[in-house]
Amino acid sequence: MSTRISTAGMHAAALAALLDAQSNLARTQLQIARGTRLTSPADDPVAATRVQSLTRQIEAASQYARNSDAASNRLMAEEQALADLGSALDRVRELVLQANNATIDDDSRAMIRTEVAGRVQEMLDIANRRDAQGEYLFAGLATATRPFERSAAGVTYRGDQGQRQQAVSATQRVADGDSGYAVFQQAPGGNGTFVTRPDAGNAGTGVIGAGSVVDPTAWTGGSYTIRFVAVDAWEVVDDTAAVPTVVAAGAYASGNAISFAGISIEVSGAPAAGDSFTLAAAAPVEMFAALDDLVEALGISTGTPAGRAQLNSRLGGSLAQVDQLLGHLQQLRAGVGVRLATVDGAVASQEAATLELESLRSSLRDLDYAEAISRLNQQYVTLQAAQQSLARVGQLSLFDYL
Amino acid sequence: MADLLSTAVSALSAFQRGLDTTGHNIANAATEGYSRQRVEYATREAQPYGNGWLGSGVNATTVVRTYDQFLALQYRNSSSALGRQDVYAAYAERVSSVFASTDTGISAALQRFANAVQDVATAPTSIPARQALLAEANALAGEIGSQSQRLDQLAVEARGRLEAAAADVSGLARDIAGLNERIVTATARTGQPPNDLLDQRDRLIDQLSSRVAVSTVRQDDGAVNVFIGNGQALVLGGNAATLATRPDEYDAAALRLGIQSPSGFVDITAGLTGGEIGGLLDFQGQVLDPTRRALGQLAVGITTIVNDQQHAGMTLVGAAGADLFAVGDVQVLPSSRNVGSASVAVARADITALTTFDYVLESGGSGWILRRADTGAAVALTGSGTAADPFRADGLEIVVSGAAGAGDRFLVRPTMAAAADMQVVLSDPAGFAAALPVSASAAAGNSGSASIASLSVTDAADPQLRTTATITFTSAGTYSIDGGPDVAYTAGMAIEYRGWRLELAGTPSAGDTFTVAANDAGVGDNRNALALVDAFAAPTMNGATTSLADLVDRVVAEVGVQTRQAQVTRDALEVVQADSRAAVDSVSGVNLDEEAANLVRLQQAYQAAAQVVQVADTLFQTLIAAVRR
Repeated sequence: MSTRISTAGMHAAALAALLDAQSNLARTQLQIARGTRLTSPADDPVAATRVQSLTRQIEAASQYARNSDAASNRLMAEEQALADLGSALDRVRELVLQANNATIDDDSRAMIRTEVAGRVQEMLDIANRRDAQGEYLFAGLATATRPFERSAAGVTYRGDQGQRQQAVSATQRVADGDSGYAVFQQAPGGNGTFVTRPDAGNAGTGVIGAGSVVDPTAWTGGSYTIRFVAVDAWEVVDDTAAVPTVVAAGAYASGNAISFAGISIEVSGAPAAGDSFTLAAAAPVEMFAALDDLVEALGISTGTPAGRAQLNSRLGGSLAQVDQLLGHLQQLRAGVGVRLATVDGAVASQEAATLELESLRSSLRDLDYAEAISRLNQQYVTLQAAQQSLARVGQLSLFDYL
Repeated sequence: MADLLSTAVSALSAFQRGLDTTGHNIANAATEGYSRQRVEYATREAQPYGNGWLGSGVNATTVVRTYDQFLALQYRNSSSALGRQDVYAAYAERVSSVFASTDTGISAALQRFANAVQDVATAPTSIPARQALLAEANALAGEIGSQSQRLDQLAVEARGRLEAAAADVSGLARDIAGLNERIVTATARTGQPPNDLLDQRDRLIDQLSSRVAVSTVRQDDGAVNVFIGNGQALVLGGNAATLATRPDEYDAAALRLGIQSPSGFVDITAGLTGGEIGGLLDFQGQVLDPTRRALGQLAVGITTIVNDQQHAGMTLVGAAGADLFAVGDVQVLPSSRNVGSASVAVARADITALTTFDYVLESGGSGWILRRADTGAAVALTGSGTAADPFRADGLEIVVSGAAGAGDRFLVRPTMAAAADMQVVLSDPAGFAAALPVSASAAAGNSGSASIASLSVTDAADPQLRTTATITFTSAGTYSIDGGPDVAYTAGMAIEYRGWRLELAGTPSAGDTFTVAANDAGVGDNRNALALVDAFAAPTMNGATTSLADLVDRVVAEVGVQTRQAQVTRDALEVVQADSRAAVDSVSGVNLDEEAANLVRLQQAYQAAAQVVQVADTLFQTLIAAVRR
């Protein structure tokens, strides 16, 4: 027995099928118009959530790229400042060498002194340089405070010791600068280990060199005075001991090294009896104080042999100090370079990750047009067939034949 | 003796009934709920004659409708299931569409806000970057607020629809009761079934079951009794009850449904399933309210994390950070049946433990009891409920005051109303606290290798947080703060004092000093902004398992999955309903071709019977003629 079908039911069923075909077609059409497979989270909840999270990750990556830009801009500004400081200091070094020449008279040295002072002022200006944001480069976190101020007492640092970090990826943070404290206030002093200096009241022509470390294990720091008990005899007094004690003594000949506590210092010329030289463990020095000291030394008159010896000693020490400062700046530049490389590396890996994320998101969200258009065609044909068959079948009626 | 004429007339009259019925069928071919009718024929009682029984014609004994009550019941049940699913899926789709866009939704707004924080972190002194941050904060709060409002609108709409559906049910019940009366009267009068009235009543019951699931019991007198919920009578014979609505005992904006009887209102909301009403109730309980609460949890999470970080930081003008976002409070709704004067205040204390549940706080015989509103499971309370020592449970602090009557209850909704009221309360761009309130520095003369590794704020509320403190290492292994007693120091150890926490790298020497002081000049500091970025990404919610972004994903995924399931089930039920409809139709529906064939058949039979009349006449004439001769 065949199934009985009611006329109204047949029409209703055919109509339902037709409407179904129509809504499928409309959905495909919407997908094509929007170019996306997902028109609502319900279309594919897992993909929708994933797309949402991928979009956030892509946005986050572009933020890291912006952070990296900001960090590398600031680092490049710092590197430029350090390079400028280095070339100014190089010129200062040349001038010191020039000034230390015996043929230079006081007038010429006065001119050299003027130029050195100019260079120091230039370096001070560099130290107060601002970045593109208008923030001081070397003020630590107090970026709105002009970090270096010259007063009668010299140059003082008014920034802080903070260092700002920038997030260049989810896990990496890179300092976008160095504080003025680290750059200018904590430079290694003297020859890096100790500082020598002639006593201002020396009457002889003894000149002390910058000295060097012979046996690092024997050097334990502290401060000493090298005293000439006679024109040909010296002794070294340990000033840090509660009762100053002589730790070494010897006969003097110009150009011979004086050695004690693992270090060796050359004294040349003819020191007078009673002349003394101080020697102290190098504490971190303030760059501008050291340079001001140099400028002051350049003002020493060479009218007397003692004055010239004083000058030579001071300039020798300053030269060693300038070399230390140059090395210090080199080290800072190397550090900045490493950070710039870190930032570049982070940017490159972010870019690669972003590409990957975008292609993943695209595969989840974007429509496969070839598939969608062939589906559209198929649904179009289905709808057409449903319409035509409904029209044709609807015409069939036995009443037509009565 | 058989009478040929009488036989023919009986046939004519019977076929006339048949033709009438066929005409009626054709006329009602498109009538919804119409069951095709047919005439039942029976031979008339035969007349005995000498050698046998001679037939004497036909009688149209009755007109019956072709109706299969089992198929009809199946259809009714499938309509009820589909009615529920149709409404449920349609509303779920609308919730889903609230979260449709992955480019402009909460997820994107959340990320843009986090990005804006980072933009401030890269340039803490930039006012434009700070303005952009506030704009993004407004966009985020606006997005959450507007989506929450769209959900609230859906709640209002669903409530209105529920009221209308309840009124529909009451109206249909009255109509069914009226038809019951007419059917009982008609049946009693004729002893025959009043087919068209039966069809009408079945159609009304079908309509009723698309509103709410019903069960029916047929009575001997032809009436049908209709029951809803857990067997509450809606129609008993000629009497109909009213399905009434009344405000919820806690929340006047929510509806309860019940049977209104002379003795009062019997709440049957929990028992109502199926149909539009079941769909609306399920939508509210399973999709809408959980989504609103989850959105509220997100709003609370964002607000708390940002505000806490603000409090731990320092603004561009050197002041302590103030709230950036504000969010709706915990809702505490007393039951309208409470007799005591107790009042309850609930605050959110710990977002990590915060859930998306609602709770009922009940004054039991031996003190207060907290239960989950959905499952009724008891939640352990610690504390004593006073302001000094509040009850604590699931990240909430509950303070009870006044005298509660026995059984007094309060509905506690920690997150329900939070999202709608989310807003930005900070208007000054400089007020964003990107900096830490303190900074640390090493003394210039330090001879050890120790340097500052990190400084963070552990208690922003410490009144002496920004007071300068000097840490002096009295030896490599001991330090004293501000000349205080020596404290042992081991490498890598954190030094905590007055709400801050300092970590050093390297080894200090005796005499080294470090200073922690107010960070008044530190306008370029971004440490607090970076801490906010970290806190945003950290898993802080749901017992420290879920980050804010995960929370957004979870809301969208949950809505998406529920909608998808609802759609799939609806599509399946549509097929089931169409099949059961087709099954009913194949029995009861009118087929016009069949009726045409019947028409031809009956017409021919009618013509043949007329011919018999003519034959009878001819026979009679023949006899008359013979006699006349």
